[in-house]
Amino acid sequence: MKLIITDIENFSIPVEGEYKVISPKGDIRCCIGCFGCWVKTPGRCVLLDGYQDTGIEMGKCTELILVSRCYYGSVSPFVKMVQDRAISYIHPDFVMRKGEMHHKRRYQNVITLSSHLYGENITEDEKETARALLQANADNYDGVVKSVSFYPSVEQLEDIVL
Amino acid sequence: MKIALINGSPKGKNSASHTLLEDVKEYLGQRADVATYLCNTPVISQENIEKLVQADAWVFAYPLYVDGIPGHLLSCLSLLEQARIQKPQICVYGIVNCGFYEGEQADLALKILQNWCKKTGFAWGGGIGVGGGGGLDMMPKMESGKGPKAPIEKSMEELANAILKKKTRDNEYVSVAMPRFLYQMGAQMGWRQQIRANGGKVRDLRRKGS
Repeated sequence: MKLIITDIENFSIPVEGEYKVISPKGDIRCCIGCFGCWVKTPGRCVLLDGYQDTGIEMGKCTELILVSRCYYGSVSPFVKMVQDRAISYIHPDFVMRKGEMHHKRRYQNVITLSSHLYGENITEDEKETARALLQANADNYDGVVKSVSFYPSVEQLEDIVL
Repeated sequence: MKIALINGSPKGKNSASHTLLEDVKEYLGQRADVATYLCNTPVISQENIEKLVQADAWVFAYPLYVDGIPGHLLSCLSLLEQARIQKPQICVYGIVNCGFYEGEQADLALKILQNWCKKTGFAWGGGIGVGGGGGLDMMPKMESGKGPKAPIEKSMEELANAILKKKTRDNEYVSVAMPRFLYQMGAQMGWRQQIRANGGKVRDLRRKGS
């Protein structure tokens, strides 16, 4: 299953195969740093606003696709809030990976990550940061990067198939 | 000189970001007019934006969230960009604390703030990635140069001096003064204590949500 996290409200990009889309529907609460998703309700965020199960969905997916406006080399606040609320995908304990401390797996699926970032005037520095950021996400999820693509406007996304 | 300390942790005063900013504040002492702001929601008030504009330097402290800047703070940064503040002399510094041992893992969260500076026209003064941030707010204050926080306190002192001189520095990385395996052991014992305190069992830590 492909899991798509996007800040596009009326998401209509064609997707091949089975997929699920998480897009802005009602207000999202930001992560409050309580770690309840690790030590209170393991696997699920304690904030019940409709976005609490992203970690579980990540445990079922083969691909994670971020479709977002680029903010300074990061994904958008909405997409980032969804990601912040989904750290339950990983286990709180640490392991060493590539000589650095990372979190242990909770699930056995290996996620292939890609990001499709749109926006006017995305600078070379921002592109470099965005590429490194997705690689860092892959290292932390113990997954692999498929691609990072940039588009000068949201309309340009109409021509792609995910 | 007016300095704004901006705490970007959702946990406010109960956070490592607060602890680090308190260290910076202590080292700044009476040498500057220091005010503290909290950015713990996706919105920053117009009143706070107007106050921030009066400052000569902004020091952001925030936790590393999924390799980057927490979503709510990213939203505040975007609102500050939209405010179109025309004060290129404002010098911005960043302090990122991460739960991993290696401060270097905060690198991208600093780079994003650096990219934001380029977009908004503010001057980038440099940042510090702090590793081993998981227990910082629980560590007792010790005699200067002593204890696991000593290298972090030293880097906060150096940052305070750089801010006062409006000096630009390369990003730096620091960690707690304890072996990595001990930090790991302490953190993992902490998770086990917390899940038991919540009425769960240690094996629940690996439970898969359904």
